[in-house]
Amino acid sequence: MSAPAPIAALSATDLRAGYGRGDDIVRGISLDQAPETILAVIGPNGSGKSSLVKTLAGLLDIRAGRVAVTGRDVTRETPAKRVAAGLAYVPQEANVFPNLTIGENLKLATEFLRGRAGVGPEQRERVLGLFPEIGARLKTRAGDLSGGQRQMLAFASALLANPEALLLDEPSAGLSPKIVGQTMEAIVRVRETGVTVLLVEQNVAAALDVADEAVVLVAGQVSLRASASDMKAADLGALFFAKVA
Amino acid sequence: MAAQLFFNGLVTGLLIALPALALTIVFGVLKFANFAVGSMLTLGAYAAWVANVQLGLPLFGAAAIAALTVAGAGLLADQLAFERLRARGSITLLVASMGVSLVIENVCRFFFGNASRGFDVALSRPIRWEGIRINQEQITIAITVAVCLVLVDALLRFTPLGRAMRAVADNASLAAVRGVERRTIARLTWVLVGALLGLAGVLAGLDRAIDPLIGWNYQIPIFAAAILGGLGSPLGAVAGALVIGVAEEMSALVIPTNYRQVVSFSVILALLLFRANGLFGAKAARK
Repeated sequence: MSAPAPIAALSATDLRAGYGRGDDIVRGISLDQAPETILAVIGPNGSGKSSLVKTLAGLLDIRAGRVAVTGRDVTRETPAKRVAAGLAYVPQEANVFPNLTIGENLKLATEFLRGRAGVGPEQRERVLGLFPEIGARLKTRAGDLSGGQRQMLAFASALLANPEALLLDEPSAGLSPKIVGQTMEAIVRVRETGVTVLLVEQNVAAALDVADEAVVLVAGQVSLRASASDMKAADLGALFFAKVA
Repeated sequence: MAAQLFFNGLVTGLLIALPALALTIVFGVLKFANFAVGSMLTLGAYAAWVANVQLGLPLFGAAAIAALTVAGAGLLADQLAFERLRARGSITLLVASMGVSLVIENVCRFFFGNASRGFDVALSRPIRWEGIRINQEQITIAITVAVCLVLVDALLRFTPLGRAMRAVADNASLAAVRGVERRTIARLTWVLVGALLGLAGVLAGLDRAIDPLIGWNYQIPIFAAAILGGLGSPLGAVAGALVIGVAEEMSALVIPTNYRQVVSFSVILALLLFRANGLFGAKAARK
């Protein structure tokens, strides 16, 4: 008898979502992600990548389908309750509070998470160990940080909640190639701490270098799912611009 | 004469500071200009009058009743109107607050009529200092406002609620994914703002007769102060209130006192034309 499949760290089932009264942008996406993996979500502009992570995080209303974190259904939960359930999110831009200091950003990341296990001084020490340059400047206003430093603060803030799964929306956006490399290294370090990472990226090469698996999103639907190495060999141009029904 | 006007202006500025602070907090956290700020102040004045004159409570106790009453009214308005319209945007919420303002003002008229009323407080001789006449009410206003400003500043800077309010003001979506429930913060913001406006109503009732338009008399200076300081900036609102208070009082040297609100209108006009972000607004809005 084979061992039962592990519970997916993050699971979306027939997910549909959109803005206002407009058409669905996320059109029936289903995906299960194994624990402690990095899943890259790639696709052309306007394919619904950012909308997908916003829907998973609870910032975009779900019209149909289901979202679960380590088997727990969070479909009807507020964004704040999803964080408490173990689902953290780092938006593409405006991902820190610029008028708060680094220390205040970090404090805020945990002080409203009542009942979340593993949130405390030990986690803070562990996270600041991953991003030492952040811990050294606690009194600096977050708005005064460089793009790369802001990204590290955003990662640290999200990780302080001791998440099961971390949603990253284009962490390389607006960063220099050197800082993109450092950011991708940081993502690998995060995964090594036991966190499952769903990585939405426009920089396909950088994303596939660190991911275990990848999905291609076209017009709000999954058009291909494969291992990162197989995806590197695939004709992504043809996939990205294929006509979708 | 000028020194007396300057001193009176500082006290008037302090009186305006609390509602201007309330206005700027609502604008920062809940993202709309609360037109009901004057009528909520009126409600505070009447609640304190009932507690002080009809129930016989000392003014300190009456002030607590006023703070609780206006906090409750703020929560009720949020539940019945603002929360339901939140997704429609700031202009809709501004118009809704005009409706709330009319409701509160007319409820006050219905129960208390149009007659002027005053608190039951002992008369006392003014103090003279360096040729300036300082009356007991001015001292009460100055001390109360100073204590409130220190407490609000401490709340905003050093408590989880204050951090959450500043975070929501910065970026409400990001605050939500950091575990902050926007709905809870909105409610607590109304409690804080209601308490400030309730206290402001008591202080206004010490400064002048209580009638259904008492809050309306302060409406334009409150908006001028908050806009001058940069809407969304608490420090700016207080600084703006002091400037407006002094400017209005000092204007008596050059224009009849009946026209002193021209100063507030002029400040609003000048700011809209030349510096729409106000004195501290650029920093407050920086992302």
